[in-house]
Amino acid sequence: MKDKRHRLDFLIDIFPFGTAPFIILMITLFASLWLVFHPAVRKKGNLSLWVFAHMHYNAYKKLAPEFEKSHPGTKLDLQMVHITAVTSRLRSAMWAGIDVPDMVEVEISFAGTFFAGPVEQVGFMDLKPWLTSSGLYDRMVKSRFAPYTNRGKIFGLPHDVHPVMLAYRRDLFEQEGIDLSKVATWEEFAEIGRRLTIPGKRYMIQLSDSGHGHIETILFQRNGGYFDKDGNVILDNEIAVETVKWYIPLVAGKDRIASDIGGGVVFTKALEDGYILSLLCPDWMTKSVEDDVPRVSGKMALMPLPAFEQGGRRTSTMGGTMLGITEKCKNKELALDLTKMIYLNREDLADRFRITNIIPPYKDAWDHEVFREPRAYWSNQPLGKVFIDLADDAPPQYTSPYIWVAKMKLGEVVASCNIYYSQNGEKGFDEFVRLRLKKAADDIRKLMRRNPF
Amino acid sequence: MNIRSAKFFLLQRKAAPYVFLSPFIILFLVFGLYPLVKSLILSFYITSGPKARIFVGLDNFRFLMGDRDFHTAVKNTTVFTFFSVFLQLPLSLGLAMLLNHSLIKGRNFFRFSFFSPHLFGQVFVAVLFGIIFAPQFGLLNRILHFFIPQIPSDTKWLANPKLIMPSIVLTSLWMYVGFNMIYFLAALQAVDRDLYDAAHVDGANAFHRFLHVTLPGIKPVAVYVMILSTIGSFQLFELPYVLLGQSPGPDNAGLTIVMYLYLKGFEAGDLGYASTIGWTLALGVLVISLLQVRIFGMWKREA
Repeated sequence: MKDKRHRLDFLIDIFPFGTAPFIILMITLFASLWLVFHPAVRKKGNLSLWVFAHMHYNAYKKLAPEFEKSHPGTKLDLQMVHITAVTSRLRSAMWAGIDVPDMVEVEISFAGTFFAGPVEQVGFMDLKPWLTSSGLYDRMVKSRFAPYTNRGKIFGLPHDVHPVMLAYRRDLFEQEGIDLSKVATWEEFAEIGRRLTIPGKRYMIQLSDSGHGHIETILFQRNGGYFDKDGNVILDNEIAVETVKWYIPLVAGKDRIASDIGGGVVFTKALEDGYILSLLCPDWMTKSVEDDVPRVSGKMALMPLPAFEQGGRRTSTMGGTMLGITEKCKNKELALDLTKMIYLNREDLADRFRITNIIPPYKDAWDHEVFREPRAYWSNQPLGKVFIDLADDAPPQYTSPYIWVAKMKLGEVVASCNIYYSQNGEKGFDEFVRLRLKKAADDIRKLMRRNPF
Repeated sequence: MNIRSAKFFLLQRKAAPYVFLSPFIILFLVFGLYPLVKSLILSFYITSGPKARIFVGLDNFRFLMGDRDFHTAVKNTTVFTFFSVFLQLPLSLGLAMLLNHSLIKGRNFFRFSFFSPHLFGQVFVAVLFGIIFAPQFGLLNRILHFFIPQIPSDTKWLANPKLIMPSIVLTSLWMYVGFNMIYFLAALQAVDRDLYDAAHVDGANAFHRFLHVTLPGIKPVAVYVMILSTIGSFQLFELPYVLLGQSPGPDNAGLTIVMYLYLKGFEAGDLGYASTIGWTLALGVLVISLLQVRIFGMWKREA
């Protein structure tokens, strides 16, 4: 029988390792050549801006053509980056010195971590000279610079104030014959809560029983927090002790009046069903509530937070965003121009409020009529005005490169105190709270002492 | 063949192995060896980003030994590994034996069904279980409360420090039992049928056949799966990280070693300390793996 020669067998003569390795080699070769001659498309813009909030992205995208028109030759490269990715991607970019954006919005919880190391090596431009020379510093809510200030330099422009109010199911309280807006102190609030709470069915307020999210808001309301303005740890001071001792019985034990329901669809159902009657609500959250729980439109209302003593502070703050210009930015003047347009333009801020419900820290915009428009969802309250009335009283949140660790430690304290209180009640609780807070604060101090920068 | 082409052929023969190996070697040097060496060097420094660093010798390792958060991470990871190995593997083996039985109808369908959770990836599974574990309105609470009314419907699986680890283990079981089942299934099918017949003729009952025929037959695969599961469990990261909302959970109950490494390196920005954690983990896993190999090696000699 005559051997039939395969069409590809001639390859054996020039490449003796077989047809398959030859094909693999060719594919590798062609793929490599393709990559060499088709490099990734370079970004087209000459001013890049990263944002993590969809609403910001859409708002800035609308402004981009106008900005480009007023700055011939400029192309804005606006990129939407996930909130978690902003931190890791920005940090990696800054470390590597590659692909660092010119401008970036950073979430408040992580902002402080970018200010670590020698101050001259912080990756953001110091905005203080520009803010003071332009007079902008005095026209904004000053407490909002605190989270973005480190060693006397201001590395970020605040996007918001985020004063906190109490959002509540007005209809359900009225059914019980209670006008909650008349409640002035947390003591009165808790008393009503104990009357209305039905374990497993209805709770007075949504509060976290294991994380730092809500208790830090209460701490700020009482002028407490994680750090003082000089960056010293104050997590174990008397304000913190008293706050934890006040907070834990609300979320733990048989007489609790709060439930930690979480977010998403579960939150929607809980608010619709009246499982929770009220919640701590900054301005940005009012939009989420409107979008996620449309069925309670007209049944919700807002009121200032109850105070800890008669005449005390009636608000706090929750969340935030800064806009930073990176040191890598080649055209800082251009970046400052864009900053003015997206953060300091009265009409644009008013437009954005319509979409986001977020009031700006730029006080010149506050007299715009949009902030006085009544909102049907919130029982026809003028949403902007009710938050603006409290904005100047929003407490500062001082930060440190160790802010993330401090938040984690406070969460640990809440979780452990919750367990202790559920098992032992008031017996030995004061001592336990002091011990846990001291331990948490000492852990942070220990880390800080190691920092040679 | 003339002299020129013979020389070319000879050169080709000599160079070819190196040409084929070169992509791997280059990639390994750039993305494997260099970062390894770099991270080892970094572990002797306190850093703030890549530019600011101060040599501290072994101080990072000394600090790590007294770091309470690291202790918590080690404890959590060890607990997870223990339950992963000692719950997952018997379940996988049991499932494999069940689906290897000729009396089971639709075996291929069930095999695929049990294997399929692994195809989704840890992030998707974590998001899914985040909804299932939700208090009050989550599926798990609804079902449990329906059948056992004594269990409160607002049980906080992901907010109660005591329930977090069981929740992670449960999620991981759902994901990996089917995956490991495939290994055991392959091993079971490779066991010589004649041995079962011989054992049957000798009067061995089902348990004895399992103990003396099945187990020795699948031992190499079982050891492989056990070592792989141990290493994989010590590297646990995405599942708890996403399940607990990108945090270690209340009271650090879901903090694992790799999560701690990530948080220190990429959230807190201390690459030096993160490298120290990484090298400590690598050494720990190496020791445990060697121990496992040694224990099973001794077992082999005894047999």
